[in-house]
Amino acid sequence: MQNHLITLALFIIILPLMGSLIAGLLGKKIGRRATHRITILLVGVAFLLSCYVYMTIVILGHPTVSGLFYNWVTSGAFQFDIAILIDRLSATMILIVTFISLAVHIYTIDYMADDPGYQRFFSYVSLFTFSMLVLVLADNFLLLFFGWEGVGLISYLLIGFWFNREPAVFGSLKAFIVNRVGDVGFVLAIAAFLMYCNSLNYHTVFSQIPLLKDHVMRLFPGVSVSVVTTMSILLFIGAMAKSAQVPLHVWLPESMEGPTPISALIHAATMVTAGIYMVARASPLFEYSTTALSFIVVIGGTTALFMGILALVQNDIKRVIAYSTLSQLGYMAVALGVSAYDAAIFHLLTHAFFKALLFLAAGSVIIALHHEQDMRKMGGLAPYMPITYLTFLVGALALSAIPPFSGFYSKDIIIEAAHLSVIPGAAYAHFCVLVGAFITPLYIFRAFFLTFHGESRLALVEKHRVQESSWIILIPLLALAVPSIIAGGLLIGPMLFKTPNLLGDSIFVLPEHNVLLQLAEDFPGAHLMAMKAPRSFSFWLAISGIIVACLFTVSFPALSTALKTRWQGVYRILVQKYGFDDFNQLILVRGTRQLGQFLYRFADLVVIDGIVVNGSGRLIRWFAAVSRRLQTGYLYHYALVMTLGLVIFLGWFLLKGA
Amino acid sequence: MISLSNFLMLAALLFGIGLAGIVVNRKNIITVLMSVELMLLAVNTNFIAFSHFLKNNTGEIFVFFILTVAAAEAAIGLAIMVVLFRRSHTIEVDKLDTLKG
Amino acid sequence: MTIIQIIFYAYALVATVSALMVIAAPNPVRGTLFLVVTFVAMSGIWLLLQAEFLALILVLVYVGAVMTLFLFVVMMLRVNVVRFKEGFVRILPLAILMVVLMIGLILMVVSPKYFGLSEIPSPAPTAANYSNSMDLGMVLYTNYAYPFEIAAVILLAAIVAAISLAHRVPRHRKKQNPSEQIAVKKADRLRLVK
Repeated sequence: MQNHLITLALFIIILPLMGSLIAGLLGKKIGRRATHRITILLVGVAFLLSCYVYMTIVILGHPTVSGLFYNWVTSGAFQFDIAILIDRLSATMILIVTFISLAVHIYTIDYMADDPGYQRFFSYVSLFTFSMLVLVLADNFLLLFFGWEGVGLISYLLIGFWFNREPAVFGSLKAFIVNRVGDVGFVLAIAAFLMYCNSLNYHTVFSQIPLLKDHVMRLFPGVSVSVVTTMSILLFIGAMAKSAQVPLHVWLPESMEGPTPISALIHAATMVTAGIYMVARASPLFEYSTTALSFIVVIGGTTALFMGILALVQNDIKRVIAYSTLSQLGYMAVALGVSAYDAAIFHLLTHAFFKALLFLAAGSVIIALHHEQDMRKMGGLAPYMPITYLTFLVGALALSAIPPFSGFYSKDIIIEAAHLSVIPGAAYAHFCVLVGAFITPLYIFRAFFLTFHGESRLALVEKHRVQESSWIILIPLLALAVPSIIAGGLLIGPMLFKTPNLLGDSIFVLPEHNVLLQLAEDFPGAHLMAMKAPRSFSFWLAISGIIVACLFTVSFPALSTALKTRWQGVYRILVQKYGFDDFNQLILVRGTRQLGQFLYRFADLVVIDGIVVNGSGRLIRWFAAVSRRLQTGYLYHYALVMTLGLVIFLGWFLLKGA
Repeated sequence: MISLSNFLMLAALLFGIGLAGIVVNRKNIITVLMSVELMLLAVNTNFIAFSHFLKNNTGEIFVFFILTVAAAEAAIGLAIMVVLFRRSHTIEVDKLDTLKG
Repeated sequence: MTIIQIIFYAYALVATVSALMVIAAPNPVRGTLFLVVTFVAMSGIWLLLQAEFLALILVLVYVGAVMTLFLFVVMMLRVNVVRFKEGFVRILPLAILMVVLMIGLILMVVSPKYFGLSEIPSPAPTAANYSNSMDLGMVLYTNYAYPFEIAAVILLAAIVAAISLAHRVPRHRKKQNPSEQIAVKKADRLRLVK
């Protein structure tokens, strides 16, 4: 039984890779239809196999399986293998990844229909799926890092897909570089693992963490830090870049320069959740460091609130959803910080569905309006695009945490968990996520109303040509809408509160941090929880958010312009995204350039060229110029020197002998 | 009586004078050639003195050959000097510095 | 002071003084002549050492041939007679010092302490019919026959070298060179003006 699961997992990983290679290398030869059919077929099979694996491991309770494929390096005490670990957490993740990937593949057929790089796109998306699957199925940190870098690379390739556009190139570079900054933390964490645990295998490392819990290391003379805290914080820095927490969030809005399908796949459902997955996977590590948990909680809360506020002032529909993603990632981070790892993964699951749905629906609107993305030029689209309208509404309601949609369950649990947690910073995070419960519906329904309701601001020519998108686009929308509605209610019980819960042994929580256990005592079941919603404060915050959005956009549009002019200062700060980009550009980019200039002018030109290279040449020339005066050309000078030498020799021998 | 040492000292003196002729000279090359002859004379004297006092005539044979070779060398040196004079019309040592670095 | 000693010191003095005059003479002709005097004086000293053959050879060959050659060349080249002062260089003190040091070092080695009469006694006088030439000849043509022949070859080489170096082709000869005449081209002889 074990062997066959490992074989299945191998297939799950290899099939998208094969699809990618075929599409990439043979795409031009076999043509568009063959390309998309092959890749979709392969990803579809991978999805079915993932369903089977999920059923076996999670529903039927098969024990955790780990399999070694290839012993890569053995060097002294270290051994690095290509090995996979199939447990409940990874089974859940592969299900999410393959499902969303399949939906995006199908969606792309029509979205990129008139793009010259059609086959290249499919190749990249399948390759991304492969990397993400390696990431979640890895059994050691090194293979995780391989998948990590792989998704970062594919993200770069895909954001810059339309490489002739300068903003796209800029955005892709920014994404890659900011990810690299986080990777520094990740690599340092790997080094710490090697130093203290002599291995990168999850099992080995996690079993040694309780022994290392009180160790300290001396960073500088006189400054000693706990080993476990250092490892956790370094690991989280890697997650911060990948999952776009403040201040390494700056790449996500620019990544909207890529085509919408990849915004759905990468920047909503999969790549950005890699960081969350990694922290959940390393829960046995993070649990032992309250400092790291507080750090995560504070960062998460800040991201959740402040990024949500930024979504209020965006005019591009994709940017609104991008900032929404940033905010929701903050929610997941808060859940991780308060040790409610299951809740974080649960929110990851529901968020993947409804955020991908929102992106794809937005993409449907964009396509229908011939790549128009500015909401100020939309409006009143509801009658023309009914299915898109309905699916977008479903996604918006799920995001705003309205029962009985899935987002309600996952978000509310996070708010409650933050409330119950006692670690430092949890109160601040609770405040942030609570206010976020008001801001979130505000911005998403602002976008909703601006796009679909109100008077039409379209150009006259466009108005007559707007029509609903084709079925190839609508099917993924519908496919994603279904879990957005029901997944929350169905899974909250089994995932969080049953014992053993859905994620089982994959997650480890220390008893003193276990807030979910406390929540479990009050859990009335999904149905009752929805019924009792009107009694909770966050529910009313959400409803009021929707109402305020309606007021500002549909009923009294003039109100928003009035607000903008009255609080111009605040508005400007928000438009400048709190100055993060300006700071980066001014200090980091220019600073690095100037450092480079300085090093070039001084270290390179003066020191190396001038002193070492030219200087040694000049020194030898000077020496030669002095020495050449010995060669006078006069015979008697030479004779004198000969005599001198002879005298010295003779004198030496004679006097030495005497 | 004259000891070997007297002869050797005389030869040493002549050798030194010959050397001085090369080193101190700035007038003409002929002086250099003549100084070389002086040095050879001193060496020959040494050989003959030793040959006499050690009662071995190998030294004298050697002088014989030295005389031969010295004569040959003087002839060729003078020939070279003649050619040099034809080219540069001077035999002053000061003017011959083409090897100057 | 025996007669031998007087002869020795006299000749030695003459040799030394004329050697000094060789290098110090302003006129190279005079320098050459002083060299002749030096040779003759040394020839006398060699006679004291009972090397009669070589002493005579010195005068005959060396003075007679080599120095004559020197004189020829010196007189052939129009040498400017320079004054005394101009001839010495700035490095004179150093040069004199070097030479003095050199001589001093050698004198230290050949001092009577190592080569005096007590270490190396005067040889016994030879028989009355001692012939230095015959002595040399006995050895030269038997043991050293090969170097003798080679010495002859060296002399031949010197002749050839000296002649080929200094020989100039006469400019105004009327001799014909047939191969050159045949190799002439029209362009060498004819120049069309119009």
